Amino acid sequence: MLVSILNGFAIGFLLFILAVGLSLVFGMMDVLNLAHGALFLGGAYLGAQFAGDGWGGFLGALGIAAVAGLAAGGVLSLMTEPLRRRSHLDQALLTLGVALVVAELLIIVFGDDPLAVPAPPGLDGSVAVFGATYPAYRLVLIGFGAVLALVVHLVVDRTRVGALVRATVADREMVAALGVDNRLVKAGVFAVGSLLATTAGVLGGPVYGARPGLDSTILILALVVVVIGGLGSVRGALVGALIIGQVDTLGRVLLPDLASFILFAALAVVLVVRPQGLFGTAVAR
Amino acid sequence: MTEHPTITRRRLLALFGAVPVLAACGSSVGGGSGGTSGGAKAIKVGLVVPQSGVYAALGTDMQRGWDLWLEQNGGKFGDYTVTTVVADEGETPQTGVPAVQKVLQSDGVDVVVGIVNSATALGVADTLKESKKLLIVTNAGAGALTGKARTPYIWRTSFTNAQVSAAMGAHLAQSGFKDGVFAIAPDYAAGAEVIAGFTKAFEAGGGKVVGTAKPAFGKTSDYQPFLTQIQQSGAKATFCFFSGSEAITFVKQYQQFGLAGTIPLYGSGFLTEGSVLKQQADAALGVQTTLHYTDQLDNPANKAFVAAYQAKYQASPSTFSVQTADAANVLNRALKTATALDGDALAAALGGVGAVDDSPRGSWTFDGQTPRQTMYLRKVENVNGTLVNAVVQDLGQQSQPR
Amino acid sequence: MTAVASPAVPGGTAARPPRLTCGRGALISVVVLVVLAAAPLFLAPFATTTLTRVLVFALFAVSLDLLVGVTGLPSLGHAGYLGAGAYAAGWVSINVTAEAPVPLLVGAAVGALAAALTGWVTVRSAGVFFLMLTLAIGETLQQVADSWESVTGGANGLTGVPLVRLAGTPLANVGYTYWYVLAVGALGFALVAVLVRSPWGAALRGIRDNEPRMRALGYPTSLYKYVVFVVAGGVAGIAGSLLVAQQRLVTPADLGFLTSSFALLAVVIGGAGSLWGACLGAALVIVIRDALGPSLDGHGTLVLGVVFVLVVYLLPRGAAGLRPRRRRENA
Repeated sequence: MLVSILNGFAIGFLLFILAVGLSLVFGMMDVLNLAHGALFLGGAYLGAQFAGDGWGGFLGALGIAAVAGLAAGGVLSLMTEPLRRRSHLDQALLTLGVALVVAELLIIVFGDDPLAVPAPPGLDGSVAVFGATYPAYRLVLIGFGAVLALVVHLVVDRTRVGALVRATVADREMVAALGVDNRLVKAGVFAVGSLLATTAGVLGGPVYGARPGLDSTILILALVVVVIGGLGSVRGALVGALIIGQVDTLGRVLLPDLASFILFAALAVVLVVRPQGLFGTAVAR
Repeated sequence: MTEHPTITRRRLLALFGAVPVLAACGSSVGGGSGGTSGGAKAIKVGLVVPQSGVYAALGTDMQRGWDLWLEQNGGKFGDYTVTTVVADEGETPQTGVPAVQKVLQSDGVDVVVGIVNSATALGVADTLKESKKLLIVTNAGAGALTGKARTPYIWRTSFTNAQVSAAMGAHLAQSGFKDGVFAIAPDYAAGAEVIAGFTKAFEAGGGKVVGTAKPAFGKTSDYQPFLTQIQQSGAKATFCFFSGSEAITFVKQYQQFGLAGTIPLYGSGFLTEGSVLKQQADAALGVQTTLHYTDQLDNPANKAFVAAYQAKYQASPSTFSVQTADAANVLNRALKTATALDGDALAAALGGVGAVDDSPRGSWTFDGQTPRQTMYLRKVENVNGTLVNAVVQDLGQQSQPR
Repeated sequence: MTAVASPAVPGGTAARPPRLTCGRGALISVVVLVVLAAAPLFLAPFATTTLTRVLVFALFAVSLDLLVGVTGLPSLGHAGYLGAGAYAAGWVSINVTAEAPVPLLVGAAVGALAAALTGWVTVRSAGVFFLMLTLAIGETLQQVADSWESVTGGANGLTGVPLVRLAGTPLANVGYTYWYVLAVGALGFALVAVLVRSPWGAALRGIRDNEPRMRALGYPTSLYKYVVFVVAGGVAGIAGSLLVAQQRLVTPADLGFLTSSFALLAVVIGGAGSLWGACLGAALVIVIRDALGPSLDGHGTLVLGVVFVLVVYLLPRGAAGLRPRRRRENA
């Protein structure tokens, strides 16, 4: 049981890294980026590609994924720019189309076969925790996720850039009126959000592997996290991710027959009771 | 149906049926859809295997097995020149059923060979029955295909899900694991058949299943909750059935969470068959499975097959290659006695094929419409840096369990 | 999607149904129907089968257009109701009777029922929240299909569905099945078209363009949205019964996210709100997926993805937007 809770944290922090980018992009820019899952999968394949080369390969994959993520975010930001006066639906559809194209291109490049991604040397073993054996890599994942959560929180809460981000979430027009170039803020947030998605892909590789179809599984998980936590809220993404992490692991232990439904039941309950999410503000619509 | 002024719906349909006789060829309405590839002795085969989606690797192996057999036999079944039309089965019946319809209706093939997905095989049963065409299934393992939902037009050169797992059930009951095995398989039809076949044979041998788990199929990427369950159940061994990406993930996590050292892992052969084994890497070492083939089999037919396959494709054959090569083999045998190429004539001829004694998997026969074949106990070993499924024991000839 | 996001429109324009030049529209409809009805006499069986799939998907896309284009509710889970209808129609055909109107009516009823049970949650949300909630419901319905094995056949799907029978005679021929699908599809299309042109349809467009204003005018907008959601579910259920009549099996994949998003693509290609456009879009999607896909090494999805992107940029109002408009643009 204790191992399950611990594992829930590992999955939860991974989901946080993935979902916080999605959440910020939507909260700030009103763009529901359905290509987020495909970016994750891109990162996972990068990880799989370089995994054989030890630490160098792992860190190299992280670096390439970060750069690729920044670039992809910039491109997505440019692509959605002409649509800023159109509805949410058009922007969501555009990113859905991009997601289909990217996922198919990944299949063409990396093949249909599912790939396993080994953890970097030294972390591919297991350690004893609570009297049970636990993969060392996942412990590191928990630590890394916690640090990253703290960093994102500090940046958003304590810095000038963060203040700008928060202000943009709250009232875009007002920020624009103050003379800040909206497009630049948007491109920046989009780039960082996509970077987090591809990075999460590399980090998640040793847990989830890389395979066709993983993109939509991951996208749906991230959407659930973001909706539960509240769009545009860092704290919401963290709490939502940790909740879903626990639901996904503890739920399977405690209620094995209902496990498949719990996720969406949780989502439906939150949406009915508190449509803006646990930490969302009603403004971000 | 005497002359009557009122138009009944039946008459209206008859009327519509009559119109196309006047219309030129290429109509969709009216009698059987031609397909009479008469004249010189020729047979057209529709090879429907996955070229895209999660089963694409299986499709590649299957097509290679088919091509290799034809190449070795001059592209002929007896006197019949073989033309092969390949179509993509895809991943689900959504793509697989139209593919079968396409080769039947558009390409006018005489026989369909292939099909990985059981749902697709079950889904085309009616189409085959209505067009009276034969399908030789070279993978799909649903027992119902040649059992409860049997039609004379579907034959199989592969296996049934329960046949493979029953062999392991009987073996584990005899090898000291009577007091406790945990059984785990994905929550879908094939998983349920595997568990049922295993449990029945294991319990018949006096064994006791101490727990079962059914992770959601295709949606589970983290098996930690189930692995904890296995540890807490006090099981002496685990029996499992996974394939594709799930097989990779499960075997790796079984080791990462420290079960591999304490609770030995047994499974249906697909757990470690084909391309997944390389991805599982060392985590798969020592895993034991049952299957009707491994490229390590020591018989002349297999040695020749493996050598030819490696020479042509620079890869080892899998059970999927053999199953499809054997489809060509039995068609070749059947056409020696078949009176025509329609489903009824071919089915009658297949019934008289007898022992297929030159198959790489060892000699097998049709029992009903599915193989009675030798099951092998296999163990993953490292031979000169390559992981292989080495033969541990011959478990004897076995039929589809009833 | 919400009132704030779209520019306000004079309520009068929004509430007025679009005028159709009756004579010409009817003439075109008749010509199209005659051509479609004659098609199987000249087409090879596989082409007829593909055309049958197009018709089924077209009716499904039309039912979705009722939500997306007419009412402004973008659903990503509509395939769930298609599947509910298909499973119900298939189950009835196997276990009770395959006599013509029965599977159809059962499919429609179950599709509508599924929409009625889930609709009270969804219509309370709007915009992207509606999108995500319907996505979650679609996934859940697929999960039900996957796990309720005694009724749905689980992952193997519901197989062995008998041919539809008309007055005791099975439609044992792809051409007959096609005509059955065409007849029902045309009726379904006509039903939706009439609804859209009625005052009720006008009110739905009003809700799409400016919900607060409609509410202020005294329209019970939530009730309107709930009813249209149930109707769309029912029509999707009819499409489901046609699906099972054509492919003779239903599997969980028919309820999936991809099916829903392809239907949404069909609607967007055609131009949200244009029923004819949705049918054209459906034809394009099915031809790419089923006829072109196999010859592209299974990469039909790639082409569809590119089409998605291009349509969003180049045809903001879909194919229907290419037509010169006489009427003042209001959306």
